[in-house]
Amino acid sequence: MHSTVVAPNLSVRKFYFLEYFYILLESVARYRNREQVFESFKLLKQQYGLGESKFKKLTVDPENLSETQLKRYRYTFNQVIEEAKGYHLLAEDDDGTLQLTGEGRDLLEKFGTDSYNIELLDLMENSSRAFRHLIDRMYAANPANPGLLVFPVYSPYQLDFSRVDTKTTGDIRRYGDALATRLEKDIDSNLGKRVQLQRGNHELIQRLIDSDLLPREDTKPFPSQKYNAIVSRFRAYWLNYFLKDIYGYDLSLSAFDIWIYRGKQIGIIHATEFYPGFFGRLVFPTSVIVPNSKSQDFRELHRYCDDGRHLLVHQPLDEKGQERFVDSLWKGYLSLRRTHRSYFINLSALREVVCYNMRISERVFELLLNRAYKHRISGNLRMRISLEVDRLPEETKATYLKQAPVMVDGKYRNIIAIDLPEGVSHNE
Amino acid sequence: MSKLTRKPSAPSLQNAPAKFEKFNLTENPFPSEPVVNKDSEDKRINGGIYELALRESEYEKIRTNFLAQSQADPNHLRLGYIMDESYIGRGNGKSAFLLHLQHAVNSQFCLDLSDGVNKCFAIYVTPEPGGRTKSFSAFVDACYNALLASNVISSCCAILRLNAIAELYPDQRIVDAYSDEQQLVEDLCNEEWFLSRQLDLAEIGRHIHANRFLQDLPPDFPLFKEASANSLFGSFVTQQDFAEFYEKLRKGKERLEFVFSYLIRLFQAADFNGAYVLVDDFERIPDFQSARQKKDFALELRSVLFDGLYHNARIGFLDFLFVLHAGVPRLISDAWQESGMEARSPISQRTSRHIINFTKLTKQHVTLLLKKYLDEYRIGPVQPHDISPFTPDAAERIGEVSEYNAARILKLAYGLLGKAAEENGIREIDARFVDEHRDTDQGSLEKESPIAVNTAETIDLNKKALGDA
Repeated sequence: MHSTVVAPNLSVRKFYFLEYFYILLESVARYRNREQVFESFKLLKQQYGLGESKFKKLTVDPENLSETQLKRYRYTFNQVIEEAKGYHLLAEDDDGTLQLTGEGRDLLEKFGTDSYNIELLDLMENSSRAFRHLIDRMYAANPANPGLLVFPVYSPYQLDFSRVDTKTTGDIRRYGDALATRLEKDIDSNLGKRVQLQRGNHELIQRLIDSDLLPREDTKPFPSQKYNAIVSRFRAYWLNYFLKDIYGYDLSLSAFDIWIYRGKQIGIIHATEFYPGFFGRLVFPTSVIVPNSKSQDFRELHRYCDDGRHLLVHQPLDEKGQERFVDSLWKGYLSLRRTHRSYFINLSALREVVCYNMRISERVFELLLNRAYKHRISGNLRMRISLEVDRLPEETKATYLKQAPVMVDGKYRNIIAIDLPEGVSHNE
Repeated sequence: MSKLTRKPSAPSLQNAPAKFEKFNLTENPFPSEPVVNKDSEDKRINGGIYELALRESEYEKIRTNFLAQSQADPNHLRLGYIMDESYIGRGNGKSAFLLHLQHAVNSQFCLDLSDGVNKCFAIYVTPEPGGRTKSFSAFVDACYNALLASNVISSCCAILRLNAIAELYPDQRIVDAYSDEQQLVEDLCNEEWFLSRQLDLAEIGRHIHANRFLQDLPPDFPLFKEASANSLFGSFVTQQDFAEFYEKLRKGKERLEFVFSYLIRLFQAADFNGAYVLVDDFERIPDFQSARQKKDFALELRSVLFDGLYHNARIGFLDFLFVLHAGVPRLISDAWQESGMEARSPISQRTSRHIINFTKLTKQHVTLLLKKYLDEYRIGPVQPHDISPFTPDAAERIGEVSEYNAARILKLAYGLLGKAAEENGIREIDARFVDEHRDTDQGSLEKESPIAVNTAETIDLNKKALGDA
């Protein structure tokens, strides 16, 4: 049977966290008046930590927001309402009062369970098919390493151009050259493609000159306050190049970001900026879109009615999957220990390695690690696993903004050490 | 025909140019494996070739804040941190810098660097890489071994004997007779030498015993064997006696007391008023410690350095300098807080007298580094700024592609020079040559990691789902 595949709609409302739907619905369940709903929305947003990151305390006081903050909160609020209305989760009367629909009430009840995210996935895919498009393209874009998208980012510092020595157009040109060469190498080694980026690089520098960020002559210095703007133009230019020219996506970087991080919450896509030894972002699917799966390791999350394909998430949770997980954990641990030369290593870094190796989501990683840890405690696993809390996520700054901590045995952990008893080789 | 008289058919060459002669070099001046090994004979890797200008600011800060400060000042710095700012970490020249520092201190026992204020020695300590230097007592053992390796105890014995001879035999002008101080120390630690000069060792021993700094030492202290009241015949004491004595001491308290109280008095008796303990690769200690062990280590450190009953803690004789990689402060900051070390010698402050930031190399440094090595192996004289066969462009390029990492620069230079020597007609190495051959010898420094994105194992989910995997 062949049927036409519906074209995807990749436009997206500007928010990441799926919990926004919940706090909106919860607020509408309590109040009907739009202003009262907004007040409640503000408080719940604070309560659920829906700011820049869920793992960073919001420092703003929801009762005393500044003008700009209030404007931002209201913008998000309206965006969530619009999207929720699109999914028929709530209805707005002519007088502007809001009320839950039956679907809205159903979803509200599911909050806190797996079905909440799956339900939202259904709603999103039925109306936009964005994930379908994103995932299909991921597999098509990289034949060398199916599904993997790389978005390398190298600041001048990372390519050894110190800020004090980078003063003129010529210096920026040299950074641009070094960057283009580095990206060419990355594309070759990760995607198996040979490309020439110097032309793009010249074009970009010309644009910077035309927009008065850089002087025309190579020897002339540019105003130092424009340094960050120049560097971020490089970043944006090449990220866009990767997204559009290399991977063939036709959407903006910010829309791509939002879809990817929504997908990450559902567990069908993994994205990370913290893969050890890689500068930039990796994105890959932890799911497939196929007519049928012959493997038991996949779980159906959504069915596309028009062509009967299924969106299946990879969840190797049986005994064999557990063994593979322990194996991957051990190997990843050894590699990281070798490069970091320490007994305890960062658990999030190990998680990235294992998720990539097994193509699983953070959630599945956590499930498998919890299981391994319990086996260890009950003596059914001969490998010794020690997990410790080195520092709580909220105590640290930048790294936890987008990197979720790992919850094991009811506690957040950030460092891990693994040991095999003497005389036991792995795989025993 | 006899093999003795038979001649080979191929003619023997009378002369041929040496491989690097065309570049005015005796051999390849750069190390093939630029990893510092202080025990090696090869000056290319033992820290013997060292360009001071590369680390001038770091050196100057240590000189002003540590070496030139009077040790008698009770507030002088007892602990400093050399913090690596480079994210590359290894190969940045820290070990070479420390060895150079040790050499600079020991060459005149710091008298020249402090305008005669201090007489100090320096020892170089590296914790065991496999994580065996986990406890403080293991760290003290490593320090003691470094002490023995630097022959300081021999020097102390020699100084004490020399002082005694000067008093007991005023007409013996021994120092004047030696131009080589090393030889003098060796002779003063040799029993035969005393016998040949008819110097009374027992008398010298008794004179040493009377030194005011040695009065509080226990009677079994190795030095006292020479004039022991317990035995009829004294025996000549060498550094070996100290090594053996230490081995017999129990780990922990006994050894700590020996190193941080008794030995300090010996050093003082030998006119030293301080010493620098340069600890390289400090991260090898906390890397393998649990939170508890880190805290215990910090507490012990605080006790021997600042607050304990040890003689060292009272007078601040030993000054420690720890070399820390970029990530180490985070690793030990909690332990430092809990143990009170943070109050004594804060690790979290970035701008303080006791913190020496070890910055990245720059463009200019690359040229200086190359020149230093080239000049060591020149056949004939060269112009002051000559770095031939490298062109200035090439030096700049080498710096860029090596990410201004000293070890990588040297390794790349080694590979490029070797390549250029093999190819006919190459007279100079320019930026283009660098670009063409830059991958020649980077291999062993950048081994592929099993977790690198492009080499890590991963699976094709589509294949797995469709049953093709």
